[in-house]
This record gives sequence, C-alpha cells and structure tokens, in this order.
Amino acid sequence: MDLPALGNCVTSLSCIITQSTSGLIIGMLLFLVAAGVSLIFGVLKVVNFAHGSFYMLGAYLTLTVYGVTGSFLLAVVAAAIGVGLFGLLFERLIISRVYGSQVLMQLLVCYGVILILDDLVKIIWGAEFRSLGMPDVFLKPPFLFGGGVVPVYYLFLIVLTLIIAVLLGLAITKTRLGKIVRAVAVNPGMVSALGINTGLVYAGVFLLGGMLAGLAGALAAPVRSIVSGMGLSVVVESFIVTVIGGMGSVAGALVGSLLIGLVRSFGTIGFPLFTEGLMFLLMAVVLVLKPSGLFGRET
Amino acid sequence: MSKGSDTRRHRRDFIKTGAALTATAVAGFPFVSRAQNKPIKIGMPTIQSGRAAMVGSSSRNGCMMEIEKFNAAGGLNGRMIELIARDTKGKPEEAARLSRELVNSDGCEILFDSESSAGAFAIHEVAKDLGVVVMHMNTETSSLTADPKLRVPTAFRASRQGIHDSIAAGSYAAKIAKDKGLKKWISCSPDYAYGRDSTALFLEYLKHFYPEVEVVGEVWPKLYQPDYTDALTKILQIKPQAMYSCLWGGDLTAFVDQSTIYNLFTQMESFTINVADYTILTAIKNLPKGLHSSNRYLSTFPKSEANAKWAADYRAKFNEYPITWSWENATGTKFILEGIKKAGTTEAKKLADAIRGMKIESPFGVDGTVTMREEDQTLVNYAIGWGQTIPKDPFMPDVTAVDWKVIYELETAWKKKNNYT
Amino acid sequence: MMKSSFLRDCLIALAAFAILAVLPFVYPSRGMSDFVIRLAAFGIFATSLNLLVGYAGLESFGHGLFFGLGAYTFALTMQKLGTSIPVAFALTILLSVVVACVVGAICVRLKEIYFAFLTLAFQMLLHSLIIAWTPLTGGDQGLTGGVPRPPFLGIRLDQPYHLYLFCGGLLVLCLLLMRHIVQSPFGYTLRMIRDNPARATFLGVQVWRMRLAAFVIAGAFGSIGGMVMSLFVSGAFPDFAYWTISGEAIFMIMLGGTTVFFGPLAGAIMLLMLNDAVTKLTEHYGLVLGIIILMFALGLRKGFMDYLAEWWRGRQMSSVAAPAATQARPLPAQPVKVAGE
Repeated sequence: MDLPALGNCVTSLSCIITQSTSGLIIGMLLFLVAAGVSLIFGVLKVVNFAHGSFYMLGAYLTLTVYGVTGSFLLAVVAAAIGVGLFGLLFERLIISRVYGSQVLMQLLVCYGVILILDDLVKIIWGAEFRSLGMPDVFLKPPFLFGGGVVPVYYLFLIVLTLIIAVLLGLAITKTRLGKIVRAVAVNPGMVSALGINTGLVYAGVFLLGGMLAGLAGALAAPVRSIVSGMGLSVVVESFIVTVIGGMGSVAGALVGSLLIGLVRSFGTIGFPLFTEGLMFLLMAVVLVLKPSGLFGRET
Repeated sequence: MSKGSDTRRHRRDFIKTGAALTATAVAGFPFVSRAQNKPIKIGMPTIQSGRAAMVGSSSRNGCMMEIEKFNAAGGLNGRMIELIARDTKGKPEEAARLSRELVNSDGCEILFDSESSAGAFAIHEVAKDLGVVVMHMNTETSSLTADPKLRVPTAFRASRQGIHDSIAAGSYAAKIAKDKGLKKWISCSPDYAYGRDSTALFLEYLKHFYPEVEVVGEVWPKLYQPDYTDALTKILQIKPQAMYSCLWGGDLTAFVDQSTIYNLFTQMESFTINVADYTILTAIKNLPKGLHSSNRYLSTFPKSEANAKWAADYRAKFNEYPITWSWENATGTKFILEGIKKAGTTEAKKLADAIRGMKIESPFGVDGTVTMREEDQTLVNYAIGWGQTIPKDPFMPDVTAVDWKVIYELETAWKKKNNYT
Repeated sequence: MMKSSFLRDCLIALAAFAILAVLPFVYPSRGMSDFVIRLAAFGIFATSLNLLVGYAGLESFGHGLFFGLGAYTFALTMQKLGTSIPVAFALTILLSVVVACVVGAICVRLKEIYFAFLTLAFQMLLHSLIIAWTPLTGGDQGLTGGVPRPPFLGIRLDQPYHLYLFCGGLLVLCLLLMRHIVQSPFGYTLRMIRDNPARATFLGVQVWRMRLAAFVIAGAFGSIGGMVMSLFVSGAFPDFAYWTISGEAIFMIMLGGTTVFFGPLAGAIMLLMLNDAVTKLTEHYGLVLGIIILMFALGLRKGFMDYLAEWWRGRQMSSVAAPAATQARPLPAQPVKVAGE
C-alpha cells in the first residue's frame, strides 16, 4: 500500500488528468466488450463466457486484413462485421440449443467454445504473440493539456467509443427495435404472443454483441499483444463491469467500465500489488449493497 | 516405427505423432521389453497451450537439435533417445501429475522440465520423490538451485539464472548511469515472483556499483495485463531519468508498442532487459532505437562461427528464429546426452554423478564452453552481454560481454547473505 | 428405514475400501494409484460442490475458495507449525468452517446469478491475497519446499501405498458422510428449498439458515479436496484458488450429472480420464476436449448419470405402462427438474 503517493496524486492536477484519461482509455475498450456481455445477459439471461474469444477473433481478423490490405479502416470494419456474423452463428448453432438449461450448462458450452477457438487461433496464426504496429496515421506526437499527456490514437479511441456508447444507448431507449429488445428482456413470452419473433431478437443481440467485441479487438490490436487466450482477462473484467453496472444496462456498462478503469489507474498508484483484488472487492461491495447493480432493475 | 517418426516430429505433425505415441503406449506399456536397444525415453512436461504456448515449441525444438545428432551417431550402443513432450497447460498440479505419469506409466528414465517456475518447483518435488534425473531448462528463479534446503542430488538447472542476470544488469547499467548522470530511476516489472525478485536484485546491484542512484517510483503491472496505460502515465508523472523493466514476451511487446505512442523512450534511458530475443525483436513493428537489453538469445553474440551456425541450422530446420528457451533446452539436453555417454548408462545416480561439475563445449558459452557447477548443480559461464537496439537486423550490433568474475564474486556474497551456504 | 439404509451405505463403503486396498496387488501400477489420489481430491471437491448446486439449488462459481484455502492451510500448517497430519487436517477444516460461515452469511442472501458472482468475488479475493502475501504463501511461485509427511498411527504417507490408501479411504469416507447428509431430513429440507423456497418458508423452515448450513458443510468438504491435492503435489499453488478450479468442478458435475449422488464422482472420473488421454495423444488439447464437451453438452444436454437415471426410469415406466406407448424420453428443449433422486 502506498497511500501517501495516492494522496500526492489526487492533490496534483496534472496527475489527476493523466490518471483519469488513463482510466478512460482502459474503460472504453472494456466497455465495448462489456456492453455485449451485459446486453446478452440482460436479454437472454445467458452468461456468455465466450465473449472474450469474440474479442480475440476481432484482433486476429484485424491482423490479417491489415496485413493484406494495409488499410486499418478496412481491417476494423472487417473485424466488426466478421465477428458479428460469428456471434450470429454461435447463437444459432450452439447457444440457442441450451436456452432454458441451467446457467452452469451454458457455462460448460461456452468453455468448450473457448477451448476450441483458442486452439484454432493457434493453428491458424501460430502460438507466438503477434503485434500489429501502430498505423501511420496515428504516428504523431501525443497531445499535452493541463500537464497531462494523451496520445493521438487514444483520443481517437475515446471519441469513437463514446459515440458508439451514445448511439447504442439511444437505440435501446428510443427506437422501436430497442423497445422490443427491452420488452423481450422482461417478458419474452408476452412479446412472442404479440407476434414478434423472439428468436430473431436473440440472434440480433448476439450479432450486435459480436460486432462490438470484434470492434474492441480491432481497436486493441495496435496497442496490445495479440495471442491465443488474450480474451480471458477481458471477459473476466467484463463480468465485473456487468455486475457493477447492472445486467442489461448500457449506461451501467459504461459507468462500470469507467469505474474499473479508474480503479486500475488510481489503484496502481495507491495499491500497486492489489489492483485486481480491488476490482473484485468493488464487485463484492456492489453485490452486497445493491445486487442488481448500479443501474439495474430490482427483480 | 514410432521411434523414427517420434524423434523427427514437427510441431504441426500432431496427428502422426499422436498415432505414434498411442502405438508406443499401447505396445510398450504392459510388456516392458528388456531388449538392449529399447529407446531411452525422456519425458518433457511443458506448456503447449494458452498464452505461454511458445515455451513448449521453442523448448522442444531446442532439445531436438541435440537429440537428432545423438541418435544419428548411433545413440547409446544402439539405444536411441525418444522425447515425449506433454502439455501441462501451465498448471503446476498438471506438471506434477504428468511428470509422475511419464516416469511411472510411460517408462521415462529422465525428465526435462521445460515449464515455468511454479511448474518447475512441482517437478522438482516429483524428482525428489521418484529419484529420477531432472534437468530444469527454463526457470530462472535462483532459489531452486541456490537454496540447499531445496537441493535434490539428481536435479540440475541448465538455464540462465536471476541472480547472474541481475548482477550483470546492475554492473552494466551502473556504468551507463555514471557516464550520463542518471540518478532518478523507476522500475516497471511484472507483478509476480520473477518480476519482483529480478527488480529488487537489479536495484541492489545498481546501487552497489553506483550508490548515488535513487529509486523514485515503481509500477507493477500484472502478468498478462493487456493494457499498460495506467503504468505508463504513472511513469510519465514521476519523470525519472532511467527506467528498468523485466517485462517479457507478449507483455513486453504490448508495453513497447504502448510506450512508443506516449514517446516514453525519448524521455528516459530504458533498460528493458528482455528485449533482445528474436520473438520480441521481430514482433515489434516499430522497434525503438537505443533500448538497453541483455542478450536473451542473439545469433551474433557470442560472436562465434559455432553460434551463427547453430542459429542458421535451427532456422533451417524449424523455420523460425531460436529464442532463449531454445538455447537453454539445447544446452540442458547436451549435458544429459554427454552424461549418458560418459556414464555409459541412464541409471539415475551414476548419470547425476557424471553430469555434476561437467564442462561441455557450447556455442553459448563465454569461451566456447559452459559448466554445470558442482556445488549447486547449476549452469555457469554462459555468455551474458548488454547492448542497445536498432530497428533492423542484427537488432543489437554491439554487445558488451559481462565479466563472470564479477558475477561469481557477488553471487557468493549474495548466497552468504541468504544463508545459502 | 433411515438407519438401515445408512447401514447399507456403510457396508458398500467398506466393500469399496476393501477393493481399493487390494487393487494395487492385482494391478500394480503407480499410474493407477496416482489417478486414485487425484480422483480423491476432485471427487470429494466436485461432490461437495454438488451439495450446493444439485441439492440446495445454489449455483456457486467460487467453490474453489475452499479448495485453495484447504490446500494452503494444510500445507502451511505442516510446513510452519510442524504438527502431525491429523492436527493439520482438523485445523484446516476448522478454518474452512469459520471462513464458510462468514462468506456464506454474506452470500446466501443473494439470488441465483448474484450469488454465483459474489462467491466468485470472494474466491478471487483469496487468490489476490495469496498472490500479494508472498512472505507467507510464496506468492505466484506457490508454496514450495515440499509438505512434510510425518508418520501417524502407523500410517506413513511418504510411502506410495500408504498415501494411496489414505486418500482412497478419505474419498470413500467423505462420500459416505455426504451421502448420509443428503439422505437425512436436512438433505430433504434442502431439496424442498431448492424446488420451492416460498413453500419451505411457509412451512416454517428458515431458508437462510439452511442454505448457510449447506454452504458451510460444502466448504468443509471442499477443503478436504484441497488437502488431498496438496498431499499429491507436496505443495500448494495459487492456481488452486483461481476461478479455473471452480470451473473444473463445475464441468465435472455438469458432465456427470447433478441429480444423482454419484454424478459428480462419475464426472470427475470422466474429466480426469479425458484430460489424461487427450494430453497423451495430442498437443491440441483444447480443440479435442472442446469438441467432446460440445458434443456432450449439446447432445445430451444433461449429465451422464442424469441421462442414465432418466433412461432407467423411462424403461421401468414403459414396462409398467402399455409397451406400445412412446418411450418416456423428455423433449430436449424443456427443462427437466427431477426432485430428489
């Protein structure tokens, strides 16, 4: 524990700015994965443990498309669409077969898929870790403001993710489709009785979740090492976010992700050896005080 | 049938290998033949899946370099070496189980430990229990061989060692620090035993050689942490003159990539000790100039024909660059094979006696030789050098060798301090 | 009735122990005895998890808390205090009970998935603690240096046969005790709470207290699994407290079945054998095991023993009813809950 260091930091403006942006950066990528996990859980009541593998696939797809075409934009789009379609297939072929089973059976199925994907990735792309390298567009000196430093790429990443978060939130709360999705989450039987194809909604949620995870993988590719099994830590953090924010809530996923980001960035200063424990502690506290999460409905 | 295909196995030939292994398992297990030319089986618990899967492939490749030569030369009176590698998935309890299985059920007479350090300690216990010869190939944790309480007469280590590297790093870094007046240091190392031990020792020796050094901060990212933003911003806050980091593998490439976009390396001298290994050097797309690193493995250091040739052979055979685990496993294998030749048997006690204190020719040694030190059964006299990176092959053109005399002297003092004598 | 069935179980247990005792003389193989020791660790652990999942309806993601706690407490007591093995056993169980009381009191108030995630959080806190408290636990390196095995009551655990028989005996004993617990009135109360907590409350059952009791009992047995594992590897590793160990136990009970008492044991045998065979045959362990898991989960949609039990019931039913009637195989999509066994 290093509380004096934490004290020094929160009294210095430049430290607050730098660590907050750092929390923002960590949180935003996490949000893209966690939003999918949260939506899928909220609507389908499925604990999609395989979501981290979607993220991994996104990174590898980006690696390949970028390698072939040299266009980062194309690679990102391809990864989002590719992984979205994969999510759709995953829902139709696999997870839809265990709807209504015990949560633990769904977990078993997801684990099987994780094992297969991790090995397939190794067979196709090799066991060694890969690195994409920063696309030339972003190779510029970082911005400075208020004594803090923000690299160009991260600024792009924050803005893009914020836009997506806002659009996603609007889509869920304002559009007809969003209302259907929310209705399915509360009472699928009733929605189905009204003549709406709930199966289509389920598939749609997986498509969307997959696209977001694929996008997260693509955006992570230039700065993170790409390796089989990279999805694991992300999916565990996503579940922490989902629990903290409230299952099925986009706003909750955003706030939860940012909270985790901040815990990580300020925790590094105050509790350098216990940041992971801190995240689980936060999750435990939320569960004890408000089990449905900060933005979740009481059930 | 299984012998030939097994010794020439390639990592993608898994179906064939699987079939061969089944055949040996089925044919060999219930009716153990006492024939003179039955193969000498060596069991190798190693990591072949998950994030550290490279450990397994590079380790096995390193071993095969030596085993093929041995078998081609006729083996031990016609007895060929057969290497059986199994995936521990990085779990220590699997490492323990597999080691026991390899010895008890598969009839392996020798164990190659190509695991991480937690796995290594588990295998060490098995070797003690079963009394077989084990060669630790990868673990750099010094206490495994330095602590007499842990010593097992049939256990050896053929890898580089934390204490050696730390002394070498400290002496080199202190020289640079004195020249450039680098007094404010920060460390950024992975938060687990290796990271903490190496960092503490490095800082101790850095101060030993240059007492004016002041440690102004430390950051401890988690092992396999995908994002280093929090660590980087903390480092930038503190504004040190120099940074030490013993991050490795995929963590290191991500760290370097992320540091680059923060322009971190232009603001301080960086001692990223594990950069000079080909997986890292080739994986990083924009390798920064001027990072200080020790040689994990370089085909240009030691600068000898033998080393260059070994690297070329390795690349030709496996179509990939050798890395630090490759040379360590090749070295460990060579000790075992030379030991078998010298002892004329695979019997554990005699084999261990033969290996203890042995000196062999090696492309990786300071003077073309390395030694399995008698007192603590660990590898010494391997080449340790330091230099600075450039973005292109040969990546680290000028490497300064570190003098083993300094290492021996401080290692002895370190052992005394820890009551290891 | 109750008493006679317990007597019968005791006799079966004795017979099982006798078979285990002679087995090494009929089939001398250290591979086999190693397997039995690991089976003891995971069999006890998985069955104890099923006390929660199958009988109390509490789906825990964090049962590995007790596996890790058991392994570390036992190994540390042996290493640092140098006590005898029974004393270390007793101390470990005592500590597990205390921890289970505290953690359980907080967790069992929560419903379903929230309970699952809270147990996971507690397990990961223990894991973080083990990693951070390096001077005591050895950190991520694990607790090295071996666990001493001093002889007690004529049992010498440093001898392979003794260790084998001791662990095998523990397996039989723990299964017998857990069997007794689930067949007791307490066990039936748990089933009632699982199926209809409102009704149980109405009948005057203190649901919360019963769940806590189940949590504590499961925790105590779970820690025994950890102790056996620590004896096997002669140490303790942070992996034992990581969420993956809970995952393994979950897969065992899902493979073997949750509605039959021996389901988890069958699952443990299946997963261990699968693991050993697949590791032996290919380095593409994940691919092969993943496909097998999927075939199982999507094909049967229930544990192996559950499937067998249902098939058996269906056969009996169809032999009683008109033979022409359709086989009583339930439609796959409809969730099947079998009350009791």
